[in-house]
Amino acid sequence: MTAPRSATIIVDGRPVTAVAGVSLTAALVGDHRWALRRNPVDGGPRGPFCGMGVCFECEVTVDGVPSVRACLTRIRPGMRVDTTGAPNDR
Amino acid sequence: MIVERDVVVVGGGPAGLTAAARLAAAGLTVTILDEQPELGGQYYRRPAPEVARRWGDHRREGGELIAGVRAAGVECRTGHLVWGLADDDRTLLAEDEAGRPVRLRGRHLVLATGAYERSFPFPGWQLPGVTTPGFAQHLAAGDHTPIGERVVLAGSGPFLLPVACSLLALGVKVAGIAEAGTPYRPGRRALGTLRHPARLRELAGYAARLARARVPVWQGAVVLRADGHDRVSSVTLAAAGRPGQAIRTVEADALCVGYGFRPQTDLARLLGCEVTADPGTGDAIPVTDPAGRSSRPDVYVIGEAAGIGGAPTARARGLAAAHDILARETGHPVPPAEARRVATAARRLGHFTALTDALYPSPAQLLDALVPALADSTMACRCESVTAGELRADAAGDVNAAKARTRAGMGPCQGRVCGFAVAGLVRGGAVFPSRVPIRPVRMTTLLELAAEDGPA
Repeated sequence: MTAPRSATIIVDGRPVTAVAGVSLTAALVGDHRWALRRNPVDGGPRGPFCGMGVCFECEVTVDGVPSVRACLTRIRPGMRVDTTGAPNDR
Repeated sequence: MIVERDVVVVGGGPAGLTAAARLAAAGLTVTILDEQPELGGQYYRRPAPEVARRWGDHRREGGELIAGVRAAGVECRTGHLVWGLADDDRTLLAEDEAGRPVRLRGRHLVLATGAYERSFPFPGWQLPGVTTPGFAQHLAAGDHTPIGERVVLAGSGPFLLPVACSLLALGVKVAGIAEAGTPYRPGRRALGTLRHPARLRELAGYAARLARARVPVWQGAVVLRADGHDRVSSVTLAAAGRPGQAIRTVEADALCVGYGFRPQTDLARLLGCEVTADPGTGDAIPVTDPAGRSSRPDVYVIGEAAGIGGAPTARARGLAAAHDILARETGHPVPPAEARRVATAARRLGHFTALTDALYPSPAQLLDALVPALADSTMACRCESVTAGELRADAAGDVNAAKARTRAGMGPCQGRVCGFAVAGLVRGGAVFPSRVPIRPVRMTTLLELAAEDGPA
């Protein structure tokens, strides 16, 4: 069986490679990046929790669009992801 | 723009897909909406194509159902988030994947909004690396990605078993499963499941796989706390009967905790559908007839949103609702033999669900055990960082008053994650009320919607 194709995305300026088309949470967790944002009230680190769009704990900035749920997003080659806490627009 | 259809189906999981396919095959105009990038819902969530090509599709029947929906001519709008209801009380407000507003009207609305996992707080549950079991399952089955190297599963219910098996299949060390109840003993209640040998075999298969891998199952155990800095590193368990006293500490880089599932009813409640407390779980469920018709004649609620029953039940409910709509549209009831077959299947499946539920502690029993032991300093609402103590101080029995005073349930998740615990802490009603927007919506979507309406 052939190896799966991979895709490289840019996370906080650094390349991260994962199997093509997996969820963005999978690419981040596979790269051991768990803390994706800070809670706006207590400032503590937060990471993906529900994996299905309910909890909003995995929100990151994707290609300049803030508050994107990583669990509902599939990676595309060259996608730029920011987890450093761009201001929330809500 | 307003999309007008015979039927608008919200939710592209087993129930919604089954209903949509049947309705469109009979010639009705049908649109199905889902916020995920692809149809399937949670149960039939599609693996990444590369994952499916290399490791296979773990639920091929989901792909077949989706193909059937497309072949029947259903308009499929994925990436669409339904967030509200217009003033006419029937036009759904949604945003598409680009954040553009979409309005939809159906002569019949079919709500198949599914369920989400029941969580309960403990100190450290907000640490990265603490997740629901469902997240571990999606990562494993859909993305072929292990959630950690050494994982503890906890909570209650049969779902913990297949998740543990999915992790084992990826070579993950499952350090143990903490089950709050004591379901895995031979007993009379288990005998009833023999009427459903296939589903019993499924559970027995998981149990055998876990035994072969020597995965410990700690029955009657709950999570006392999780510790770690920027990520969980250890889990301390307590006996369910004495949830304050530590009995065991286990190293882990991921902890997945869930207590079964809760119906997602916010849209049904927003539409004014009457709800009642599920006799088994206490959760709010829409009042429906056997065909899924709610208290509003134009609104059907089907699948897990109408009460937890599993994917086969969801499909049976989807078919029953489609038959009812077709009978109303055409004036001809579906052939009685087909209707009887669906009703019988739904009844048998309901029986199996009740028997399975009886093996595990009920949500009310869980609250009785867990709430008194929850330390005041524990974060109860993750979004707004509200502690259990702050909520207890408002134990007037009113979740609304508690929400207004503490902000619990006001964050982006709208109380979906904390709602079960908050209701237990304030000893109030089971759910926060449903208000527009039921999900966070982009400001630009609202502005564009207002622009479409013209100046006020």
